[in-house]
Amino acid sequence: MSEFDVMPGNKAVAHGVRLSRAEVIPIFPITPQTTIVEYLAEFIANGQLKAEYIQAEGEHTCLGIAVGASLAGARAFTATCSQGLAYMHEVVAQAPAYRTPLLMAVANRTLGWYWALGPDYSDMMPELNLGWLVSLAESNQECLDMVIQLYRISEDWRVLLPSMLSLDGFYLSYSYERVNIPEQEAVDSFLPPYKAPYPVDPTISDKWPASGLPPALHTTYRRLFEEVMEDAKRVINSVDEEFGEVFGRRYGGLIEEYRCEGADAVLVTMGSMTTAARRAVDRLRGMGEKIGLVKLRFLRPFPSSELRRIAEGVKAIGVVDRMVLHGTGGGGAFSDVRSALYSMDERPHVINFIAGMGGDDISIEDFVSMGRKTLKAAYEGRPEREVEFIEHRPEAAPPPVQLEEVMPIYPGSDGCAGCGSSIIIRHLLKVLGPNTVVVNPPSCSGVNFGGVVAVPWVLANYAAAAGYETGLYRAYRIKGKADKIYLTSFSGDGGTVDIGLQAISGAAERNESFIWLCYDNEAYMNTGIQRSSSTPLFASTTSSPAGRVWAGKPEKPKNMILIMAAHRIPYIATASIAYLADLERKIRRAAEVTRAGRGMAYIHVQQPCATGWYFPPEKTVEVARLAVQTGVWPLLEIEDGVLKVNIKPRELKPVEEYLKLQGRFRHLSKEQIATIQAEVKKDYESWLALEKMGKLPWY
Amino acid sequence: MGLFVYSESMIKGFAIADRTKRGGQYVGAWRVLAPSIDYEKCTGCMLCAMYCPEAAIVAGGERKPRVDLRFCKGCGVCANECPAKAVAMVKEER
Repeated sequence: MSEFDVMPGNKAVAHGVRLSRAEVIPIFPITPQTTIVEYLAEFIANGQLKAEYIQAEGEHTCLGIAVGASLAGARAFTATCSQGLAYMHEVVAQAPAYRTPLLMAVANRTLGWYWALGPDYSDMMPELNLGWLVSLAESNQECLDMVIQLYRISEDWRVLLPSMLSLDGFYLSYSYERVNIPEQEAVDSFLPPYKAPYPVDPTISDKWPASGLPPALHTTYRRLFEEVMEDAKRVINSVDEEFGEVFGRRYGGLIEEYRCEGADAVLVTMGSMTTAARRAVDRLRGMGEKIGLVKLRFLRPFPSSELRRIAEGVKAIGVVDRMVLHGTGGGGAFSDVRSALYSMDERPHVINFIAGMGGDDISIEDFVSMGRKTLKAAYEGRPEREVEFIEHRPEAAPPPVQLEEVMPIYPGSDGCAGCGSSIIIRHLLKVLGPNTVVVNPPSCSGVNFGGVVAVPWVLANYAAAAGYETGLYRAYRIKGKADKIYLTSFSGDGGTVDIGLQAISGAAERNESFIWLCYDNEAYMNTGIQRSSSTPLFASTTSSPAGRVWAGKPEKPKNMILIMAAHRIPYIATASIAYLADLERKIRRAAEVTRAGRGMAYIHVQQPCATGWYFPPEKTVEVARLAVQTGVWPLLEIEDGVLKVNIKPRELKPVEEYLKLQGRFRHLSKEQIATIQAEVKKDYESWLALEKMGKLPWY
Repeated sequence: MGLFVYSESMIKGFAIADRTKRGGQYVGAWRVLAPSIDYEKCTGCMLCAMYCPEAAIVAGGERKPRVDLRFCKGCGVCANECPAKAVAMVKEER
């Protein structure tokens, strides 16, 4: 028996992936996608799904893993959105030519530009024309069902293209609905295991996907791809029919028509907005208006002939767009609909409404008004404006609390109570003063402090933050300002040890004179506590949960201090929020080194996180102190290659005293604690041994 | 959210940050328990102010700390860190 449950869209996607028996699942967290891969981690940790689960160090790698797995003949799944999808772009372009039928869920979120978390299709827009199938879901049930359908469609040898499943962030990703979970047996017979025609596997195949073509054949293969897209339309429609016969739910294939019979005008919508648009159509129909609705279920392949068929019967079409093609004056779907209809002898008026950008809600009233305007165009002809932006005023934000003193950072913030990074940023800016520029890769801190800082706070793209900082530094240098402005990052561990590392390494090798400060809370806290390569051994996170099969993160963290020391930069230090005099001294030293133009200074501060490490907020500083006293977080600095351990407790406290305060270690067995103790002792003694060397020999 | 704090500029379509329009952020409503300082016990070491994540503790009269409750989330770090045990977290009458 299939069963019902109430769940958010992200969980519905995860169930779909579980039922589809995805074999390789590379992940990288990003709001509002993250809980999809968290649910999958839970399934795997508890033995409900058997799959390779890999937390990549960035989205570019993440999609690379999915393509690699698919090339080898495995069923691959990943999920992302917004900035993450943009960072994947190059790999997105590669996947169709390799004919890798992987599935990527995109929990839509606007692409910065100005940053926000809510959905629009500006993230998918740059990816639309690269050869993927792009489908959009309206409900959580449709999310689950389309995962299964899309694998079936993509893996069909007439198609063999990757698929994107769009679900609107927040409106679907986090909103709960009743969802039917099909039976595993039924899904298994509907979706047999993936069989790659040319797997990259020399033990079974002498053939594999080509990576290049002679230029003369490019035009030909582009034409062939367009034919495959046409074939895909037939497969999409027939898979939907078959799905309906087996599971009792049909969606209409490429489009769904709602109350279009006898309509003079139709609204064209896509995604979750459609539900509100249906209610608006109901309301207008109730008043006797002849209006219907067409839901675009696929943007690629684009349902051109279906739209032409509908256009034959109506006088006006109002396309509601959640994406703007800047420089064209209108939206993406508008442009596609108009070009699909252009070959008709008699065309209806097509007008465009741009609405809901950045996740702005499109209300039923908005749709009623759009419906009326479309009806007016049907009866009175083309309106004055072809494109209209449906705009709302924001709620007034409370004004800041005025204080007499001018400070580089004002009191209060959006951070959790007891936030350790708040302690760090306040001491950092206290030492560096008002002429400081902070480069901030995405993290909690941008959200928390972006509104209370009174120094320039440059939100930088995740993997490029050290690039932003290099550019700022070089501009200051050429303008004679390098010794007048302090330049520092305020970066989390993800932005430092994972996705940011390549750019940091580049800057360190060039020895750019700026400060890189990493506040290390040992996981991706901003997206909800996923493991980073700074997460300690055996810690439970939402992407390395302790469960029946898993026992927390199995790997030790990267040794970032030695990685930086390998670049021979002049100043490197670790610090702790429990030892503020030491922290401030190290910030001051880093400022002196960089101001003198001697090169890069790197400070790595451990930041206990009450929310992510699961301890009461009042213990933030206590936990930090215990980390130092147990040897878990040694305080040290490396100046011009000379390593010094700054604080040496006479005797290290047992590591258990540190671990037992934190929920992320609650699942530990005695053996695991003993392993951690041995590793801490080994690492601590290694630092002491390096200190004895005097100067690190490679400096 | 801090990310969305912006000002309008003189250039069309160009949202900016303006440090002259910045100030503190009222978070007093977050609090469940509030710190109460026993000034008999307090030695004026100001460790509480140094550790306060919100910079809600400032120098008051007689070189003693004073809590600005507009910025206090009630996390309790001050009470936990006070070497003289002079800070208690108490239920507020509001």
